[in-house]
Amino acid sequence: MTEPALLVDGVTVEVRERAILRDASFRLDHGERVALIGPNGAGKSTLLRVLAGTLKPTAGRVEMDGAPLASLSRSAIAKRLAVVPQQTALPFSMRVEDVVALGRLPHEGSIRGATAADRAAVAAAIDRVGLGHLMGRDARELSLGERQLVLLALAVAQDAPVLLLDEPTVHLDLRHQVEAMELLRDLNERDGTALIAVLHDLGLAAHFFPRLVIVEHGRIIADGPPAEILTDERIRETFGVEPALVRLAAGASGS
Amino acid sequence: MTTAPVPAGARRASLAVPTRLGRAGWLAVAGVASLFLVLIGGIVLGSADLSPATTLAILARRFLGIDLGLTWAPTAEAIVMDLRLPRVLTAMVVGTGLAVAGATFQGLLRNPLADPYVLGTASGAALGAAIAVILPVRGLFLEFGLLHGLAFAGALLSVTVVYKLSRTSPLSPLTSLLLTGYAVGSLLSAGLAMAMYLSGTGLRQIFSYLLGGFDGTNWARLAVAAPLILGGSLAILMRARALNGFLLGEEAAAHLGVDVKKERTILLALASLVTAAGVAIAGLIGFVGLVVPHLVRLLVGPNARLVLPISALFGASLLAAADVVARMLGGVPVGVVTAVIGAPFFLALLRRARTGYEL
Amino acid sequence: MVARSTRTLPAVAGLLLAILLAACSAAPATTPTLPPTTPFPSTAPVATPAPTEAPTPPPLFPVELTDDEGTTVSIPAAPAKIVSLTPAATEILFELGAGDRLVGKVEDFTPFPEAAAAVPDVAKFGSVDVEKIVSLGTELVIAGGNNFNPPESIKQLRDLGVPVLVVFAPDVAGAVADIELIGKAVGNPDGAATINANITRAMDDVKAATAGGTPVRTYYELDASSGYFGPAPDYFGTEMIKIAGGDPLTSGTAGVYQIEAEQILSFDPEVILLGDAAYGVTADQVVARPGWDTLTAVKNGDVRPIDDVIVTRPGPRLADGIRALALAINPKLVLPSPAP
Repeated sequence: MTEPALLVDGVTVEVRERAILRDASFRLDHGERVALIGPNGAGKSTLLRVLAGTLKPTAGRVEMDGAPLASLSRSAIAKRLAVVPQQTALPFSMRVEDVVALGRLPHEGSIRGATAADRAAVAAAIDRVGLGHLMGRDARELSLGERQLVLLALAVAQDAPVLLLDEPTVHLDLRHQVEAMELLRDLNERDGTALIAVLHDLGLAAHFFPRLVIVEHGRIIADGPPAEILTDERIRETFGVEPALVRLAAGASGS
Repeated sequence: MTTAPVPAGARRASLAVPTRLGRAGWLAVAGVASLFLVLIGGIVLGSADLSPATTLAILARRFLGIDLGLTWAPTAEAIVMDLRLPRVLTAMVVGTGLAVAGATFQGLLRNPLADPYVLGTASGAALGAAIAVILPVRGLFLEFGLLHGLAFAGALLSVTVVYKLSRTSPLSPLTSLLLTGYAVGSLLSAGLAMAMYLSGTGLRQIFSYLLGGFDGTNWARLAVAAPLILGGSLAILMRARALNGFLLGEEAAAHLGVDVKKERTILLALASLVTAAGVAIAGLIGFVGLVVPHLVRLLVGPNARLVLPISALFGASLLAAADVVARMLGGVPVGVVTAVIGAPFFLALLRRARTGYEL
Repeated sequence: MVARSTRTLPAVAGLLLAILLAACSAAPATTPTLPPTTPFPSTAPVATPAPTEAPTPPPLFPVELTDDEGTTVSIPAAPAKIVSLTPAATEILFELGAGDRLVGKVEDFTPFPEAAAAVPDVAKFGSVDVEKIVSLGTELVIAGGNNFNPPESIKQLRDLGVPVLVVFAPDVAGAVADIELIGKAVGNPDGAATINANITRAMDDVKAATAGGTPVRTYYELDASSGYFGPAPDYFGTEMIKIAGGDPLTSGTAGVYQIEAEQILSFDPEVILLGDAAYGVTADQVVARPGWDTLTAVKNGDVRPIDDVIVTRPGPRLADGIRALALAINPKLVLPSPAP
C-alpha cells in the first residue's frame, strides 16, 4: 500500500475565530503505531476528531487511503477506521456484550442484522480485551476503567485497519494500563492495525510507541522516534516537568 | 496479556448471545398470540347482545366463505363488520405507531422520559382539533373530518416549527430539540386553553378529543391512517441499525458508520408522521408510547432490532385490549385504562429488574 | 406531552361543569347553518314522495323532516323503538306519550318523569354506544346538535341506516320548534301542539305580568366551584331571564360563561339566583364571599335558589320554569294559575 492510511495536510481548525489547530501536517502509514502527546488543550483531541471525520477542518486536506475523507460515506469510513472515545453516554441499561456488539454495526446489513460471523467477532473481541468475566453485567454498573475497556473491545470488534484512541488508559490502574498498552502493541504488530493514540503518560508513550507526535498550542512541533524528539529541554519546556521523572517511568516499565 | 482463560470467555460469549435471542423470540410469539387474542376479544365482546358463536360465524362467512349454519340479523353483521372490527384494528394500528414512535424518540434523544409527544405533537394536534371545533365550517378532508385533518396538520406543523427553531440555537442539537419542544408545546397549550375557553359547547368535543378514544372509527378513516402509521413504522424498523448506532451518543454513532444528521432527520420525521397520524384519528392517548418501549427494553435490552418490532406487537395488544375494557366499562377514556392496566405491571417489572434507569 | 396538555384541564374543569349544565339544556345560537350539500347524507331508505294534493288529514307516515342541522331525515313508519340522546328529548317523548317506545336514553342525573329513570342509558357525556343503539333495533334517534353528541357518532348511526333527528334549541322559539319536530317524528303532532300551547301561554302570562316594570338586575349563577360562571349572552337561560322580567348579567362575549368577580360587584345585582343550588351552594355561602355583602341583593336578602333544570332544559317543563324564574326574580309577582 503506497497511499498513506491517513493524511493530514495543512489542516487548520477554527472555532469562533480561535485557531485550535494550525497548519497541521501529518501522515499515518498502514501498520504504523503513533502516540499523540502534548499538554492539556494543545489540540490533540481536535486532531483526532479531524482524522475521524467528525470535525470538518476550516482549511487543509484530510485523506484516507488517497481519497478525500469528506468524499467518503460514514459507513465506508467506519469499515476502515474505528475510534475509542474517552467515555460515551449509556442512557439505557445494556449488557457488556451488547455494547461490544455495536462494533459490528458497520458490517451489518440494514435488514438482515447480525450474523453468526458478527457474533463470533464480538466473542473474540471480548476475549482479546480480557472482558470474559464481565459478560452479562450491565455496562453502567462497571467502573470507569472497565467501561473504557468495553469501548476498546467495541473498537476491536469493529475490525478496522485503522484505530484511533483518545486517552485509552486514563481511568485504568497501572497494571491495566500496561495490559492495555500490550494489547495495542499486539493489535499493531500481529494484526497490522495502524494506531493513533492520544496519551498523557509520556513514559508509557515512549516505551510502547516507536513514533511520537507532539502537539503544542495547536501546532505539531515534533514528529519522530521518542529518543530523538523527547529531549530534556522539550520535556521541561512543553510539559513543564523534570525529565528525570519521565525517564524514570519509561525506564521502569521498559526494563 | 490477560489472566482470564480464553476458552471460558469464548464459551460464555457463544452461549449468551443465543439466550438473548431466545427470550426475544418467545416474547415475539407471546406478542403475536396476545394480538390474536385481543383481536378475537375485541370482536366478540361489546355492549350489544351477540353470542360469540354468532360473531365468529359472521367472520367465517365474510372472510373465509365458510357457512357455519347460523343465522343472524343484518344489524349483527353491521355491528361486527362496521363497528367492532374497524375499531379493534384502528386501536391496534395506533398502538403500534405510538409504541414504535416512543421507542424511536427515546433511542434517538437518548432520553428515557421521551414519549411520542416530546416534540410538541400532542399540543399541536390538540390545538388543531380545538380550532376545527371553533371554526364555523364543517367538511370532510380525506375522510378524516375537519377535526382530524387539522389535528394531523397541527401535529406536523408543531414538529416542523420545533425542529426549525431548535436548529437556530447554539445548544447541542438534542438538548435544543428537547427544550424547544417544551417551549413550543407550552405555547401551544396556552393556545389550546384559550381555544377551550372560547369554544362554548364545542368544549365537550375538544375535551373528548383530549381524552382520546376510538368512538367513531370507521374503515375509511383506518384506510387513510393505517398506511401512514404502518408504513412509517416499517420504515423506522428498516433503520434499526442507525438507531442502534445512536445508543452511545451521536459522535459514537458517526464512528459506527451512521450519517448522523441525515438519519436523525429521517427518524424524527418518520416518528413524527406516525405519531401525528395516530393522534389525528385517536386523540391524545398517553402511556403506551412511553412505557411499552421501556417494558420491552427491560426484557430484551436496547437493541432496536428487537425493541421496535416487539414494542409494536405489545403496543398494539395493549391499546386494543384497553379499548375493549374501556368499551365494557361504558365509555371510560381509553387512556385511563392503558394507565391502569400498564402502570402496575410496569412498576412490578421495575422492582424486579436488576438495574434501574439512570436519569 | 400528554401531561403538559392535560395540565390545563383542571383549570377548565369548572368551566366544563358550567358548559355541561348549559349543554344539557340548550345551545347558543351561533351554530352555523349547513350548506345544502350536507356532509352527513342520510342513508335511511327514501320514502316515496307524497302526492301533491294530500288528502285531509294527511297520513302521518312516511314522513320527511328537516332537522335543526338542515339534514333531511326520512322516517318510513311510526318508530316503535326510539333512543333519546338529550335529556330534553327524553322529557318531550314522555310528554308525547312515547315513553314506552323509548329503548335507550342519554345518562341523566335528574331524570324526568320518574319513569325515565328506568330507560337504559346508551350514551353518556361525550360518548354514544353506537353498537348498543344499533343492536336494539332502534328506528329513530333524537340527538343533540351543536356538539352535544359527538358528530362522529351521529354519522356512524346514519351510516348504519338508523334515522337520526338532530335538534338544538338556541332559544324558546327553538325549543317550541323542536317539540313540534319531535311530535311529527313520532306521529303525535297534536300532542306537541298541546305542549307548545301550554309553554306559549305560560310565556305570555309572565310577559303580561312583568310588562311595564323595570327589568331587575339579576345574576344567575351556573357554577362557582372555581371562578364564577353565569349565562353567556347567547345562552338559552339569558332569554328566559329577560322574559321573566330580569336584566341578566352576562360575560358580554358569546360562548363565554366565566364572569369576573369584579364584573359581578360593579353590576350590583338586585337578585342573585343560585342555579347551582343543586350542587350545594347556599345563600349563606354567597353572603360570606369577600365583598359581596355590599351587593343590593345580599343586603336585601334576595339570594334565592332556583331549579336550573326546569329553567334551561328546552322541554315541556319550560312552562313551569318560566313561572318559577319570574317568581324567583320578583316574589311579589301575581301570575294566573297554570293550565291544569
